[in-house]
Amino acid sequence: MSRGVTTGLGVVQLMLFSVVGLADDDQKGHAFFERKIRPLLVEHCYECHSEAAEEQQGGLLLDRQSGWLKGGDRNKAVIPGDPDASPLIRAVRYRDEDLQMPPEYQLDDELVHLLENWVRRGAPGPAVDLGDTEFSRLGDQGYLFEAASNHWAFQLVKSVAPPAAGDLAWNEQAIDQFIFARLQDHSLTPSQPADARTLIRRLTYDLTGLPPTPEAVEQFVDDVYELGRVAYSHAVERLINSPAFGEHLGRMWLDVARYADTDSFYRPDTVTPHYFPFAFTYRDYVVEAFNNDKPFDQFVREQLAADLIGFSDGDAEMAALGFLAVGPHANRNPTEALDDWIDVTTRGLMGMTAACARCHDHKYEPIPTADYYSLHGVFASIVRPNSLDENQLPTIPGYPVDSALRADYLEKRAAIDAKIAEAGDKTVGSNQRGVARKIRETELAYLLLFHRGGPVHSMIVKERGKPVDPYIYVRGDPTNQGDRVPRRFLQILDPKQQPFPDDSSGRIQLANKIASSENPLTARVFVNRVFGLLMGQHLVDTPSDFGLQGSAPTHPLLLDWLADDFVSHGWSVKHLVRRIVLSETYRQASHYREEMASIDSENRYFWRANRKHLSIEAIRDSALVIANRLDSTPRGRAAPLWGDDYTKRRAIYGYINRFNLDPTLRVFDFPTPMQTQPGREESIVAPQALFTMNAPFVIDQAAAITALREFASRKSNTKRVETLFQLIFQREPTDAEVNRISRFVEQQQRLFASSADESEMPSPWEMVAQSLLMSNEFQYID
Amino acid sequence: MNETGLPMHVSRRQLLQNTGMSLGTMALGSLLAKSNELSAAPRPATKGPLDARQPHFPPRIKRVIHLFMNGGPSQIDTFDPKPELSKLDGQPLPDSVKNRLQTTQRNRVGNIFASPFKFRKHGESGLEISELFPNVARHADDLCVVRSMVGEIANHTPGLLLTNCGHSALARPSIGSWLLYGLGAESDNLPGFVVLCPSGMPTAQSRNWTSAFLPGVFQGTYIETENRSKELIPNLTRDDIRPRSQRAQVALTRFLNQQHQANRPGDERLESRIHSMELAFRMQSAATDVFDLNQEPAHIREMYGDTIQGRNMLIARRMAERGVRYVQIYHGGKQPWDNHGSIIPNIKRLTSECDQPIAALLTDLKQRGLLDDTLVIWGGEMGRTSTTQTGPKDPNKMGRDHHIDGYSIWLAGGGFKGGFTYGSTDEFGLAALENPVELHDLHATILHQMGFDHRHLTYRYSGRDFRLTDVHGNVLHDLLS
Repeated sequence: MSRGVTTGLGVVQLMLFSVVGLADDDQKGHAFFERKIRPLLVEHCYECHSEAAEEQQGGLLLDRQSGWLKGGDRNKAVIPGDPDASPLIRAVRYRDEDLQMPPEYQLDDELVHLLENWVRRGAPGPAVDLGDTEFSRLGDQGYLFEAASNHWAFQLVKSVAPPAAGDLAWNEQAIDQFIFARLQDHSLTPSQPADARTLIRRLTYDLTGLPPTPEAVEQFVDDVYELGRVAYSHAVERLINSPAFGEHLGRMWLDVARYADTDSFYRPDTVTPHYFPFAFTYRDYVVEAFNNDKPFDQFVREQLAADLIGFSDGDAEMAALGFLAVGPHANRNPTEALDDWIDVTTRGLMGMTAACARCHDHKYEPIPTADYYSLHGVFASIVRPNSLDENQLPTIPGYPVDSALRADYLEKRAAIDAKIAEAGDKTVGSNQRGVARKIRETELAYLLLFHRGGPVHSMIVKERGKPVDPYIYVRGDPTNQGDRVPRRFLQILDPKQQPFPDDSSGRIQLANKIASSENPLTARVFVNRVFGLLMGQHLVDTPSDFGLQGSAPTHPLLLDWLADDFVSHGWSVKHLVRRIVLSETYRQASHYREEMASIDSENRYFWRANRKHLSIEAIRDSALVIANRLDSTPRGRAAPLWGDDYTKRRAIYGYINRFNLDPTLRVFDFPTPMQTQPGREESIVAPQALFTMNAPFVIDQAAAITALREFASRKSNTKRVETLFQLIFQREPTDAEVNRISRFVEQQQRLFASSADESEMPSPWEMVAQSLLMSNEFQYID
Repeated sequence: MNETGLPMHVSRRQLLQNTGMSLGTMALGSLLAKSNELSAAPRPATKGPLDARQPHFPPRIKRVIHLFMNGGPSQIDTFDPKPELSKLDGQPLPDSVKNRLQTTQRNRVGNIFASPFKFRKHGESGLEISELFPNVARHADDLCVVRSMVGEIANHTPGLLLTNCGHSALARPSIGSWLLYGLGAESDNLPGFVVLCPSGMPTAQSRNWTSAFLPGVFQGTYIETENRSKELIPNLTRDDIRPRSQRAQVALTRFLNQQHQANRPGDERLESRIHSMELAFRMQSAATDVFDLNQEPAHIREMYGDTIQGRNMLIARRMAERGVRYVQIYHGGKQPWDNHGSIIPNIKRLTSECDQPIAALLTDLKQRGLLDDTLVIWGGEMGRTSTTQTGPKDPNKMGRDHHIDGYSIWLAGGGFKGGFTYGSTDEFGLAALENPVELHDLHATILHQMGFDHRHLTYRYSGRDFRLTDVHGNVLHDLLS
């Protein structure tokens, strides 16, 4: 589709004039077309070559003159006056093996003659020509660039003054002023603030992914009583500075970074994954970046180019390069692997779907295929050392190892090394993978992945000796090289497109172009992600697509204000989070109001807080917190989430097998880490309920909850129900709830007493605790 | 939008969050009372991702059973007779023919290796089938054999991915996932897309049934071996509790949920979750029940045979009649039909394992009136060469190499012509001659029979609308009755 992009329309216009001159007579020509030619085209061609059919095979439309004159991918379809030179005529004649139309059958000679005659007469078209439409302009980069020149997301972020709100409480903070104005536009009114219990539970989950303890709730309620609003600010500070903050925000970023502990494929002979034993150092880097409030622009630069901006082997920041290195690449040809890097960089950081421009100019966005190959050149100029190569991957500080663990590791390592040495260069059968290599890639890799006494390296990328000067691959085919393009940034964001220097990949320049206040997308895309996480609804509901095809923001001015405020406060993520959670908008109750819902049923304008479902990570972590079993150790190697030996650490430290994604994660909408992921969705399917009903993990936590001293020491049914409600829902039960549960317990106790094998069965109270974990109240945040 | 007014390019958000349902859910008691019955309770009017939806036009078939002979069965020993080849047996291929082979095959091609198996005409149609499939041959008049399948890359992983997902390399949703996305699930109690494979996963593993960028609920559910009903769905049951106790526990949870919901009107998700827990409870027994072959009369079990293949085919039928839309059965783990060596004894063993069960499945579907709206597909990810690979001279040790330029599959039921062959290969049983069929064409045709225009079953992802057939695919109307 790479035709003269900027002049394409002009050329067609000119040709239209010349063609009109060629036709016998306009009126006669139109009549001939409508009577003889159109019916033929309708019957035999329009299925694939008309706008009505929503098809344009080979880029060719035959329902308008500009269609056949402009032609398809191959060439002009019709040369007026010259049937023999017209591809359309060649195709219907069926003599050329490579060009036969219609594909299924040959037209009768009579029809072919009719078409020849039509072309000879100058190929007249309909009286009212459709001309160029949105549809015929698919992939027309000239048109798309023009459209993009007015597109909101490609305009620089402006500093905007918030409008005054006619409500005292809503006139204090910019976010509220913007929201209030839009509410008024739609005859909506905001909700009352949520009560203290609801608010502290919501805030604790939103900032840490964990539930508040019953004590923290009581403390907060008391504080609010004594200190008022200040108590809330204190709570925000306490939570935002807890290590759990980085774990929660970090998990959001890991979705974008399509993080996993293995590659996308497995080794067929041993049926084992390609392990990434050191991927965890990237995960830890991300968690710490959020905890230390690393400026987001610096965070971006380090992830793309830590090795080029002053860090070197031995620096903790080198782990940032995992953003590139942990991507899927096994069993992909090199172009495929580069595609992942282009995709995560453009879509993940800027909400641009540049990866679509690999085989042709983007059909819907101002991204010529040349831009794709400019970025391709940047990424083709770096190499990724083998993920198991301990010599090439730098060691990384900050992971002290217990000496007993170290000794155990060394012993196991020695045994494997001995096996490797013994294998020498043996192979088995026709398998080209030597026995020694097989042991390294399976047993040794597994040991490195899970053993907490093992060495720690960062997963990195390196500059290639000589940077690659890219060519366009015509139609994405590496064997079909088109024009050479320089390594440089995207045209739509950098019209001058200064080539990157000759002596490096250009990652620094790329990183600087992205992590810049001059880039209209980077800050907007990120603030939108954080806003969506905290508010349960994004301002732009296509968080990784801010292009022409993406959704428009519901609050464009607010989005700009947030982006501007974020950048002018040093790209501080904690600042951004504070802005949002301190707002009245965030603090609203989630109560339903019929009148408001009749105007805005989806709550696009935030007339109430959104009720949010817990992620699978939060469900798992919460059950451990409530059972008082959460191991809050930060950092370190991945560990299994389920099974006999499940970890009691937070779910972000769980092992993620990219190739065979854990089924429980999958049923709970954990996004497949094959590509960068825009965010989480909420689906409601029975297997999620089966998890809370039957998963040994949940059953285990229910038992642990009833073994807690504060529960076991209570003897009366009422006290026990109260304790469980405090632990799990952080509230008092109602009388009806106490009665209903007491009845259940007594009923089960009778059943229990009559049972021969009672020791095998869960106690009635364990079932009650589990029932609370199964409930909606546990899984939703008001 | 299509004729039915149903947008098929539903956004993920719409799809997952559009759970508008009424409060008219059945009382829990009556649901539980029915929990041991086969039939699903009437469902409320939800619009969750798995709720049944209407396709573009009235479908001809309701379900697909895909018998996947993974590894690549030899066409010239089964459904594509080349009697003339026996005259050339043992001779080298003419160079002109050799040059038409895929590079990987050309380098190690041996001499012509005519099929040692006899073909005979069967049924009224006179369809030719080799002696390896004596029982399947009795259904000759039901089979629509395509002898001109053409693949893209002559190896297992690309072949499997192309056959299942429409692309040899990239991560794309499998056809079963697309169908589930388009149609929703027919059954409340069972997954809509199930993959059975005895003894380990086939090559390429879960990529064969991946939902890729479609929501994870549309992914195929893989079951490793026979009678492993617990793996049908993770956490399907627990052993340490009596059903009666769990029923009481689910009822208690419902009470708590109702208390919670009473103060939170206007949130349909809460009702949907209450409903989904009841489904989950029912699913426990339904999903266990589908594997309980003792419920089948003895003569049915005998007809299928008490073997791995026999039991799997019978489970497939039980799933099909309970509303599983797409059942895929692999012959076994990895790639059992990959007969590079000793093809004679191996293919005898493989066909003797599956011939009777496949015939039984066809008979059984037919006698239940299910063959009409069920499509049965038989085939592999490719075929095999009509030459040996360079190597042993002993015919019993000789094998055949991968082959993608013209291989055979068959389809039965579901509106496909019976006793019909389509396409042909050249005199060496290698290149497709007449009517070459791409996998995209097959996909377009299956979708067509399920009620979809393959060009309009799309999903917006990463900036563009994706579809199973990408920019390819023609519905093979010639195959349809």
